[in-house]
Amino acid sequence: MSNITAYKCKSCGLVMYPHHFRCLQCHKREFEEITPSEKGKLLTFTIVEQLPWGFDERGRVLGVVEFDNGVKALGVILAESPKIGMKLKAGWDSVRMIGDQKVYGLTFEPA
Amino acid sequence: MDIEVEAYLRPPEMYMPPYPAKVITLATGGKLVIRQVTRDVVPTLLQAVKPTLEVERDYYDIVGARLYAELLGWYRYRVRDEFCLVGQIEGLLVGIVNTRSFSPEVDISLHTLAIERGLRIGAHLFAAKMEYSIEYLGRKEVLITAESPIGFRRWMIEYGLEKRDGQHELGGATPFALTRDLYFRNKDRLVAGERPVPADLMEVAEREIIIASEDDILEKILGAKRRLVQ
Amino acid sequence: MRPVVVAGAGMIPFERRDEDSLVGMMAVAGLNAMDDAGLGDRAVDAVYVGNMASGLFNHQVSVASALVDRLSLMPAAADRIENGPASGGSAIKNGFLAVASGYADIVLVVGGEKMREVIGPKATDIVAAMTHPSAEYIYGVTLPALAGLFTRLYMEKYGVTREHLTMVAIKNQENGLLNPYAHIRMKITMEGVLTHPQAHINSPIVADPLHLYDCCPVSDGAAAVLLTTEEIAKELNKPIVTIDGVGQATDTHTLQERSDPTDLKAVTVASERAFSMAGLKPKDVDVAELHDAFTILEIAESEHAGFFPKGEGAKALEAGETRIGGKLPINPSGGLKARGHPVGATGVAQAVELVWQLRGEAGDRQVKKATTGFSLNFGGFGNNVLAFVLRRKS
Ligand SMILES: CC(C)(COP(=O)(O)OP(=O)(O)OC[C@H]1O[C@@H](n2cnc3c(N)ncnc32)[C@H](O)[C@@H]1OP(=O)(O)O)[C@@H](O)C(=O)NCCC(=O)NCCS
Ligand SMILES: [Zn+2]
Repeated sequence: MSNITAYKCKSCGLVMYPHHFRCLQCHKREFEEITPSEKGKLLTFTIVEQLPWGFDERGRVLGVVEFDNGVKALGVILAESPKIGMKLKAGWDSVRMIGDQKVYGLTFEPA
Repeated sequence: MDIEVEAYLRPPEMYMPPYPAKVITLATGGKLVIRQVTRDVVPTLLQAVKPTLEVERDYYDIVGARLYAELLGWYRYRVRDEFCLVGQIEGLLVGIVNTRSFSPEVDISLHTLAIERGLRIGAHLFAAKMEYSIEYLGRKEVLITAESPIGFRRWMIEYGLEKRDGQHELGGATPFALTRDLYFRNKDRLVAGERPVPADLMEVAEREIIIASEDDILEKILGAKRRLVQ
Repeated sequence: MRPVVVAGAGMIPFERRDEDSLVGMMAVAGLNAMDDAGLGDRAVDAVYVGNMASGLFNHQVSVASALVDRLSLMPAAADRIENGPASGGSAIKNGFLAVASGYADIVLVVGGEKMREVIGPKATDIVAAMTHPSAEYIYGVTLPALAGLFTRLYMEKYGVTREHLTMVAIKNQENGLLNPYAHIRMKITMEGVLTHPQAHINSPIVADPLHLYDCCPVSDGAAAVLLTTEEIAKELNKPIVTIDGVGQATDTHTLQERSDPTDLKAVTVASERAFSMAGLKPKDVDVAELHDAFTILEIAESEHAGFFPKGEGAKALEAGETRIGGKLPINPSGGLKARGHPVGATGVAQAVELVWQLRGEAGDRQVKKATTGFSLNFGGFGNNVLAFVLRRKS
């Protein structure tokens, strides 16, 4: 389950995430709000050893995932040995503390 | 010397198995030999520490002054159970680290002084003294404190050290601890070195501890260029 | 538009400069450029300051106003230009437009950044503030992380290897040894940072597949150029180096929205625009300063700017074509890798290096007979890019 909203252009069908006021392709302004499908595949990833100030961890895997319905988004990859092309299932969890607030975002586990 | 009085003043000493020397290949391709030294070389080491006493940058002055006192105290039998490792490149002294054993279970990391910068020499030497405490002396943990932001970055953040209550011997900020578990988890990533050190490298290192000139030391630590506007 | 001459160039050595303030560094760089031009007591009409984040790094804003005051340039017009790591390039573009349009006759452009006031992980956080707030930043994305995502794809697609990446680092750190203004002045070896079984401890992972020596350092520094008209430049009696081409282009904020994330479209378009304004082609370039914040970028940019076909950049590097003395020397200054990357200063420092190269004043790192230079300043992760073509007039 993920909580992000993606946008599908009512005119040309392009799927976009994050939000733009005009379509990236045809510049029209009408969108259908869509949620990403449950699953997707990993397009690329990196293992970040030097995280910014405020993170009490190292070796966080970040990756770009393409959902089955075309939405693409970055998130935290919770897989032991990530591989490009692997199937993943989306989740929604705390990904960062900003001040003393938990911030939620996309997480992905092997499907 | 009044031998009888001296006997009261000298601290007793714990047995410490020796630290086997190792060699690390640096980013430059250069070979850094890290080895344990005995107290008789302290006067030589102090020559390299002295110029740092007036360098405010990165708290070299505080680290230098304390290290100077610790080494001198060890040399003249006024500090208990201290050990000292040095780093040399082709004989040249590039760094000094020291630690004091508090008990058979706990060591107290004292100081790390790198005279050559940008090559992770301080990091390699720090890792070496942790290796000695944990792997060779069998301590359960080493207490650590940092005097400079760079120390904080290198030790507390890189090793993900655990906070401890109470005080560190140096009387500074609240101490952190490197436990056996943390050490072994970080070892592959942070602890380098090959043994035995090839005979020719060891021979050069042991023949003489070469000390750079005062100007060189100041320039290496401070960088050549210094401030623009006085 | 009238021709724009770079009549003066100056900078200060990049490094960690605890003792100097941001405005102090920019003032000294500015004076160096003014003195290099022999400006004397002539009035500067306008000042453009390239700076990314003085508010966050140094808790100081309005640094352009502070700078004119330090240099007593009042009543010169003064603006700070912010465009992430391409702030310096954008400041030059604004200075160029001011002179070209006739709005100003003498313009001082200064780029500066003081990043080392904060500890490393905080600098990383401040730099990461340029990423998309909800789609990137919250996940702990850093600039090296974006570069890591890009590098993995680029390596897969074009067969670029970690050896290639390391070759960029070795070459640029070697060039840096010849540059007294460089932050990192140390020769590194393939063994020490890549092939030795323990090399990963010397060059730890920053954002896999990128390691320490694939990244630029975090630096303090400032650089400046003085721009003016041909008439005034002749009076100043300096060798004439003109800005013949300026190109700029943008791309999507996030990497994931690019239909091919390995395609740095903004680099291609900005470079094409610069070349077309200059009426030149990539093959006319004698020396290039590219934005190697990460080693992969030097290779990728050398292809996207048109110097080599896609996938051939690494081969040219391997063949030594991009060394000083090669067919197209890239980053004789040491690039961001060795000269350092005080973000707002970089675009201006690239122009300074080109001016020195085109005048034949680059000392030990001089590229022989260089008359045409190219620079590329890469903002964000390739979402706002500037390209420049500079020429020496005989
Ligand atoms: C790679 C990185 C994380 C290393 O940081 P670090 O390990 O904390 O390094 P330190 O700051 O402790 O540096 C210690 C010494 O190592 C050397 N060093 C640091 N980074 C280096 C690098 N990338 N390459 C070569 N040497 C480096 C320097 O000699 C430095 O000495 P200095 O303090 O006189 O500058 C950091 O340089 C970085 O984040 N770089 C990327 C910056 C960036 O993203 N910029 C924006 C891009 S658009
Ligand atoms: Zn559309």
